[in-house]
Amino acid sequence: MAQISFFSVALKNLKRKTFRTAVLVSAIALLVSLLIFAISFTVSVASSLKKSSERLGADLVVVPVGARGFAEEFLLESKNTSFYMPISIIDKVKKIEGIETITHHTYLSSISGLCCDIMPTRIVAYNPETDFIINPWLQKSLGRPLEIGEAIAGFGTSENLGLGLLDIEATIFNNRFKIVGVLEQTGTGLDHALFMTEENLKNIIESGKSPLKKGQISIIFTKLKKGYDPDFVGRVLEGEIPEVDVVARSDMGEKFINTLADINKIFLLTTILASVLTTFLVWAIFSAIANERSKEIGIMRALGAKEFHIVKLYLLEVLVLGLLGSILGVLAGTYLSALLAGSFSLLKNISAGLTGVQQITIALVGLIIGTAICVTGAMMPINRIKKMEPLLVIKEE
Amino acid sequence: MSFLQIENLTKTYTVDHTTFIGVDNISLSIDKGEFLSIVGHSGSGKTTLVSIIGGILKPTSGRVLLEGVDICTLNDNKLSDYRANRIGFMFQFASLLPILTAKENVLLPGIFSPDQKKAKDKTAQDLMEMVGIGDKLDSYPSQLSGGQQRRVAIARSLLNNPDIILADEPTGDLDEDTEAEIMRLFEEINREQGVTIILITHNLELAGKAKRKMRMSKGRIADI
Repeated sequence: MAQISFFSVALKNLKRKTFRTAVLVSAIALLVSLLIFAISFTVSVASSLKKSSERLGADLVVVPVGARGFAEEFLLESKNTSFYMPISIIDKVKKIEGIETITHHTYLSSISGLCCDIMPTRIVAYNPETDFIINPWLQKSLGRPLEIGEAIAGFGTSENLGLGLLDIEATIFNNRFKIVGVLEQTGTGLDHALFMTEENLKNIIESGKSPLKKGQISIIFTKLKKGYDPDFVGRVLEGEIPEVDVVARSDMGEKFINTLADINKIFLLTTILASVLTTFLVWAIFSAIANERSKEIGIMRALGAKEFHIVKLYLLEVLVLGLLGSILGVLAGTYLSALLAGSFSLLKNISAGLTGVQQITIALVGLIIGTAICVTGAMMPINRIKKMEPLLVIKEE
Repeated sequence: MSFLQIENLTKTYTVDHTTFIGVDNISLSIDKGEFLSIVGHSGSGKTTLVSIIGGILKPTSGRVLLEGVDICTLNDNKLSDYRANRIGFMFQFASLLPILTAKENVLLPGIFSPDQKKAKDKTAQDLMEMVGIGDKLDSYPSQLSGGQQRRVAIARSLLNNPDIILADEPTGDLDEDTEAEIMRLFEEINREQGVTIILITHNLELAGKAKRKMRMSKGRIADI
């Protein structure tokens, strides 16, 4: 076998000016890392929203009038908010045609100080007899219902509480609770809550440390009978019961989605600008390379290189550059996404996380786009190189 | 029919609306295994003629027939195959790729020709031994003297077993001793391997060592 090949010559060409090669690789790596971060951010937020609304399993969410934003903040963004309506609303909702199943939650926000010896956190009190949201989840993690005086932490809550994980006791609104475990991760805003049955609320109300009054609930979740349109039933509900707002599952996180769309536009613009700049950089450097190596190209053509061989040689050089930069970019982008996740309240609050398949897909997209931009930038100079008249460039001084 | 037949070959250049004649209606026959030297002043058309024969420049009119095939009508791919398989080039400057070692430079034409892809290390080593630089296999051009670089170029031009070596003032910037050694190599290659050599030189003494000498002036053959 011959000791040299197009690939080995391409590699040697890249080593010829290591600083220039490093600049190009860095530019591509920066672009790809930006791309990876932007895609990871967008995909993780969007999929978390989707997962959250699916996880709730309700077709309609009924909240006190004006509290829709608070409800979304509580369920999707893990924000500590309180909103209440009379429990009598449940009976009114039940009477609406199309409603099949109904359950409700009462939300509390614990505060540090005299009443509680845990970090401020969100508390979800649910009705174990009607619940279809927490029960299946609890069954999977604990294998039994919660009893009075027991609470279980969401996956992301134990850390926030500043406590250990199992069989510890905590004071919440002047009541002692045994934390019996941690629920498995769901990737939803509920990962950041502490759960208990609503039987505990009586004692909490009696402690006088909570804004909750007797006969109040926060939210009603409903499932519809087959064939009923959630939007239609929602409109009927709002018409019949003026004290409530209704959110269909498909509309959950609308405010969030609008914010996300704006963030996407900024990411898109930044990525396009960075791509154009990188393409120009590659074009400029390969134009310089074409000029520098014109005599060598003429010599290779005189030795029998076809136009195709010249294109192959330089395309290999570009591909190595593009792939190297893209791989570094994918690594840096993934690392940045993980590192900065805690710095973005949007990401921190929604339990954003990517699946392995999503991560691999995003990495592949980064690799392809980074390499394609590199090839695009270099194509014009490469086309010029291959068309060079051998004698003219050989005789150039 | 001669091995290499040049018929009414003309090459003109137009620069800023002015036409210059590089080669002016030249006809010439060269036999297989011949050693032809071409002398003449700068601008007499020597390099233009040799470049057209080597297929790196298209003529304005006329034909170059190698064993009856007109190379001027070949497309770029076929012309590249012609250069890769039948022609060995030597230029008037150090024409090695600086990023490759001496041996890699010798092997370089092999990657451009499907016929030569089997060119082995051993072939390159033998050729380098033959031209007297067998101990410089892994040296880079910058580590070699001018004479050594020319020897590498000679070895490279022989890798594809060419029919014709076209040498355009290959010793122009070398000292007398080195120049003589390179000439001895050309004579040896011509004599022992039967390779046709067309050598361009300013040096009349060097030109005299060829079997046939031709002088060019103003794009024409002045005398043979």
